[in-house]
Amino acid sequence: MAVRILLVDDHPVVRQGLRTLLEGRSEWEVVGEASDGVEALEKVSAAQPDVVVLDVTMPRMNGIEACRLIKQKDPNAEVLFVTQHDSPQMMREALAVGARGYVVKSNLARDLLEAVEAVSQHRVFTALARNPQPAG
Amino acid sequence: MKLRILLADDHEIVRRGLCALLQKREGWEVCGEASDGREAIEMAKQLNPDVVIVDIGMPHLNGLDTTRQLLQHDPHFKIIVLTITDSDQVIREALDAGARGFVLKSDAARDLVSAVEALQSKRMFFTPRVNDLVLRGFLDKGHAISRHEPPSLPILTAREREVTQLLAEGKSSKEVASLLNLSTKTVETHRSNIMRKLSLHSIRDLVVYAIKNNIIQIQMPPQSTTAETPVA
Repeated sequence: MAVRILLVDDHPVVRQGLRTLLEGRSEWEVVGEASDGVEALEKVSAAQPDVVVLDVTMPRMNGIEACRLIKQKDPNAEVLFVTQHDSPQMMREALAVGARGYVVKSNLARDLLEAVEAVSQHRVFTALARNPQPAG
Repeated sequence: MKLRILLADDHEIVRRGLCALLQKREGWEVCGEASDGREAIEMAKQLNPDVVIVDIGMPHLNGLDTTRQLLQHDPHFKIIVLTITDSDQVIREALDAGARGFVLKSDAARDLVSAVEALQSKRMFFTPRVNDLVLRGFLDKGHAISRHEPPSLPILTAREREVTQLLAEGKSSKEVASLLNLSTKTVETHRSNIMRKLSLHSIRDLVVYAIKNNIIQIQMPPQSTTAETPVA
């Protein structure tokens, strides 16, 4: 079954890069894009994604708050954080608000596909830049 | 003949996005991708691209010093600087370094193709804010841009700026020596000269100097749901 993915990042060029990486998998479909947390909440209702790929630092509403509200709105949607914050503390905060995955942007080419696959199957995937920690 | 573009950004995801954007244009090709300034310089010398796009905030050698060194090697390089901020100081330094295009990363999807087209036609491309500043500077006989700014980096040599960045990134003298193919003793001499010239007394002071002068960029965690921090 197709995995429906929503991309949320305030930089269009990053969303384009994510889309390019994800579209390599024929069974995955990018069903929408949003540029901040507020828009992400609207798109979650409209597009009903299986996986939300979410940046942390965004205008209007950051990713941590957006994740908390997305999980309230649609507990079945899994959230994968894609961020520049290579920080265990930020990762713990992300998991605490309901995210299933956390990967850093500097290693996306290595981690993104594996991470989306894991969280789409409701498995946890976390990988900081220097210390990849995939977990079942 | 194809227009050949070299991309330099430390984030592969950004390079993917930029590649997708640029290669939609018929007749344009991304001939190389570099993940830091030093690699960009090596690749530019080998590939001789028509346009070089450099991110300002790269490790090892930032985009401004990359621009300076590229143009020192060959003044014909056409360089577009990509940045997450268009503060007066960054704009001034990019112009001083010799960049012919200046594009905000957040606007790259909209502006980058236009910027490359401008350089291809031997014109320059700047964001509206840069145009305003340049005009203001012209109307005010060239002084408006820099009047209230701290002095930029007049007293450090190109090599000293490289060493400053690497030390501020947390590398030891030995690691810097290895990266720059110098002896540890030479790096320590550079380090002493840098500290003396800038009247600094500790590595902490050096890091603060590097941040204030856009030699390195730091990232702040989000403070609140309404925080607006320019992070890629």
